[in-house]
Amino acid sequence: MCRNIFAISIIGFLLITGCKKKEEYQAQQNSNSQSISGLLTSNDTLLSYEDLGLKKLSDYGFFNQPLNKLIPANNQVVPYELNSPLFTDYASKKRFIWLPEGSQLSYVKDESVFNFPNGAVIIKNFYYKNEELKTEEDIIIETRLLIKDEKTKQWKTLPYIWNEEQTEAYLYILGKDIDLIIERNDADNKQIAFKYSVPNINMCKNCHVKDQTIVPLGPTPRQLNMKHVFQDSIVKNQLAYLKDNKMLKDLDNLDAVHKFPNYLDPNSGSLNERARAYLDVNCAHCHQDGGSAKTSGLHLVYSETDQYKLGINKPPVAAGKGSGNLSYDIVEGKPNESILLFRMKHLEPDIVMPEIGKNLVHTEGVKLIDAWIASLGN
Amino acid sequence: MLAILLVTYFVIKNEPTPEYTPERHYVEGKENEILSKFLLAKDSTVIELGAGHFTISQSLSLEGLNHVIIKGKGIDQTVLNFKGQSRGAEGIRVSNCTSITIQDLTVENAKGDNIKVMDTDGITIKNVESSWTGEVSEKNGAYAFYPVLCKNVVIDGCRSIGSSDAGIYVGQSINVTISNNLAFYNVAGIESENSKNVKIFGNKAYENAGGILVFDLPGLTQYGSNIEVYNNEVYDNNTKNFASKGAIVGQVPSGTGSLVLGTEDVYIHDNVFTNNKTSSIAIASYILIYEMGKRNKKSDETTSNTGKRVVGNVRMIDSKFDQDKNYNPYPRQIRIGKNAYSNSHIFPTINNDFGKILLLKKPIRTIDVLWDGIEAPEAPYTICFEKENKDISFYALDVINDFKNPTTDVSKYFCN
Repeated sequence: MCRNIFAISIIGFLLITGCKKKEEYQAQQNSNSQSISGLLTSNDTLLSYEDLGLKKLSDYGFFNQPLNKLIPANNQVVPYELNSPLFTDYASKKRFIWLPEGSQLSYVKDESVFNFPNGAVIIKNFYYKNEELKTEEDIIIETRLLIKDEKTKQWKTLPYIWNEEQTEAYLYILGKDIDLIIERNDADNKQIAFKYSVPNINMCKNCHVKDQTIVPLGPTPRQLNMKHVFQDSIVKNQLAYLKDNKMLKDLDNLDAVHKFPNYLDPNSGSLNERARAYLDVNCAHCHQDGGSAKTSGLHLVYSETDQYKLGINKPPVAAGKGSGNLSYDIVEGKPNESILLFRMKHLEPDIVMPEIGKNLVHTEGVKLIDAWIASLGN
Repeated sequence: MLAILLVTYFVIKNEPTPEYTPERHYVEGKENEILSKFLLAKDSTVIELGAGHFTISQSLSLEGLNHVIIKGKGIDQTVLNFKGQSRGAEGIRVSNCTSITIQDLTVENAKGDNIKVMDTDGITIKNVESSWTGEVSEKNGAYAFYPVLCKNVVIDGCRSIGSSDAGIYVGQSINVTISNNLAFYNVAGIESENSKNVKIFGNKAYENAGGILVFDLPGLTQYGSNIEVYNNEVYDNNTKNFASKGAIVGQVPSGTGSLVLGTEDVYIHDNVFTNNKTSSIAIASYILIYEMGKRNKKSDETTSNTGKRVVGNVRMIDSKFDQDKNYNPYPRQIRIGKNAYSNSHIFPTINNDFGKILLLKKPIRTIDVLWDGIEAPEAPYTICFEKENKDISFYALDVINDFKNPTTDVSKYFCN
């Protein structure tokens, strides 16, 4: 009896793994035949959602034509970068802040998002470079807007998806899968085929809700504390630029602002600092007090000092299969026994972390966190 | 000789691996229409879902809304099937809402949890089936109904099938009613965890590994108390425990009718327990679970670089429980009223540690009420039996003294 069951399960296993290989192969072939499908075409039904936001990105007037060059239409639109950005399947990002005329950001704390005036908009464009896609030009996939509503004084999230012609982006609340093949400029120059997921309008809230309110995540003084090449090749610290243009108040001493490490740049901080920066920007929006992963007890903000809350020898609470049959979030010196790294390395929906918007493993991030866990306890 | 063979057969016979295969005719292509209804919902929206068995590839979520009803045409009529979903791990996800009702539909085969509700005051789920189809497997999602950090929860007239953790699972919530539901083919049928003011009545929990569980675990935002389990039918909970190894319910012995772990003020009465192979009711402290985890996995102990001992395989068992000052690992004031117990199984199963111990210590009869025998310090009492229990089969393992002085005398623990 037992032997039979054993035999059957072996056959079952072979069947399952056999099928899997076939599927993967087919998926690869399909995506080779067309490199970018999923951007909007005339076949897509585009609805107006007037109570949500404007139908087209160009309706806001942030950028000059041609729209896909993303050239600010006036000095109310200010570009910025972050020292340590969120990983989004190797997409590059161009970020801008739009401020109503005469209004200012105000400084709160180095690690806290600026206080934005009502009506402000944060504009984040996700694109892949032409050399990654082997296309003539860069391709913009989506533009996400965070708008601080004049009336309600609350932030709202609006996802826009670009069309194939790259002439316009449309408000598209349903989320969409975009088929991409990219070639990373790394050691093996391997082509990667994958589905890039534009989130639906509710998914934005998974990351952007803290204490039951929508909040921006990136633009903090310590993240903006870096040089940027502005128009006309002016190179300037971003905080200084904002201040000089009277768009930032309540910050007197720029030199005292903490500069957040760039997790990919070994010169920007120690291994520990860079790993903690990585966990902060990629995990802590949920994994903190008031975040959507608060029930996990795993808190990954940069300033966390409680080793247990950081996951060291902490068992998971309701990780299910996400635990990978491992016992602790982090085991010092043992990356391969640490659930945190296990979940970074996997892409299944019930295992992958971060749990949305990620369809590729971030090899560099995995390397960094692997090295960091290996270094702990020494 | 024949007798020995028979005994051996009954003892090592495997628990069944049940299978749930409802009739389905899946249709694709309706996803965007259904998704739009969720995305465009505002306060007081009624999301009406038509009849059909719809395949959906992503989580459907509500966030920050008040007074929303999600309504299908009936359990067999409106089916949302999440098999093979690629975005999000939940089926329906509700968070930061007030007064939400989900009714008259089926949610099945989500990767993670079928229906997860977080930080919501007022969640009513009625006449909803939440299931994983096919043969039960540890690959099934964890929780069928999963309200966590909620207030005023009602789950009534629902069915939970095939969860690889708990079917109806209410965690860290206050004011909870779990009534008139069916829970079968799950690892745990119904589980109240770290919740307060909970009534569990009129349910049928059968063919799970464990029927109705009341748990209190350390390191969480609140602890459980004031729980009443009554008028339930709890039978044939002898399905093999198919939880993934990471889950604490993986520790629940197959054949358990009801298990109380830790928790203050639990009253179990007027239930009918039938044919649960290991024990109708079991009462344990977190210390026991911790010790058993250690005992099982001694060989796997490893030492981390810091020299701290790490017990490699004590899955999700928190060795820091004694550092959580708010947590009390002992069951306290567990009151057992009159219940009906019957068992056609002559021998306890040996497919779990409890069963093995029981077979050695008390081989001829299965146990009605099993207790680890660890008394809670500073509690008015740990467990007590109402007088109607005078003839039950009771067994208190003397766990901390390596089972040396077990007792079967229920009269020692009559309620005052």
